[in-house]
Amino acid sequence: MNVQYINPFIESVSELFTTMFQKSATRGNIGTSKSVGENQDVVAMIGITGDVQGSVAVAMSEQTALKVVGSLLGCDIDEFGSDATDGVAEVVNMIAGGAKAKLPSQGLSPLQLSLPTVLRGKDFVVTYPTQSLWLDIPFESELGSFHLRVTLKNAQNN
Amino acid sequence: MKALVVDDSMVMRKVLIGALSRLNIGDVDQAADGVEAVAMATQNQYNLILMDWNMPNKLGIDALKEIRAQGQTVPVIMVTTEAEKMRVVEALKAGATNYVVKPFEPKVIVSKISAALGQTAEEECAV
Repeated sequence: MNVQYINPFIESVSELFTTMFQKSATRGNIGTSKSVGENQDVVAMIGITGDVQGSVAVAMSEQTALKVVGSLLGCDIDEFGSDATDGVAEVVNMIAGGAKAKLPSQGLSPLQLSLPTVLRGKDFVVTYPTQSLWLDIPFESELGSFHLRVTLKNAQNN
Repeated sequence: MKALVVDDSMVMRKVLIGALSRLNIGDVDQAADGVEAVAMATQNQYNLILMDWNMPNKLGIDALKEIRAQGQTVPVIMVTTEAEKMRVVEALKAGATNYVVKPFEPKVIVSKISAALGQTAEEECAV
């Protein structure tokens, strides 16, 4: 995976926080994760196709997810119901959409995004036979900590 | 004043309904995809439509084209994560009144709605 591809996603997270949440999110060091759901309760994920293929996900605790969606709606959410599921899906949708617009500057043709999927559970494993490496970028914010996880590869390498 | 909010995300619909309420627009219908949007726009007279792009069943851009093909001149603001210039141009050519990229600051969407309705955006102060 070209690590340069990760920067548009990181920028997109920052833009999301400064616009919709009007808060900041501070990123930690880039690492790797064996699974998209490693050590987290909630994952919202979107597939990417085009010159590069893979997925982008945000993974977080249930508590962080409730605060993130509550911030979107401008009210407190106590239970992880349909609002929370829908809200975290929209969060990853906005992150992926923002990155998608920036990736052509990396020399890529416009990409396509799938509709988002939300997974819940503890330490669930999603297996990608041909894409086993997720880049993991931890973030800290006033809404709680969360992880941006991205796996991408050039389509011609299929 | 009656508005239609079209987005497959229930949370985003609520966010947009909140923005409309800041402009005292409380009579709002909702649609979750382009098919519903065209049907509702055909059956109702709206003063404003907020339209997502990527939705199941029918894309927002296709719904916009169908609404315009009916001769409807209702202001339609695309509110979407599609941020590429080619998308903006495509939407404006199809008859979109304005274009807002998600994520957005609350004051931006309020200002664009105000402009589409020919109102002043004095309500921005409440955001």
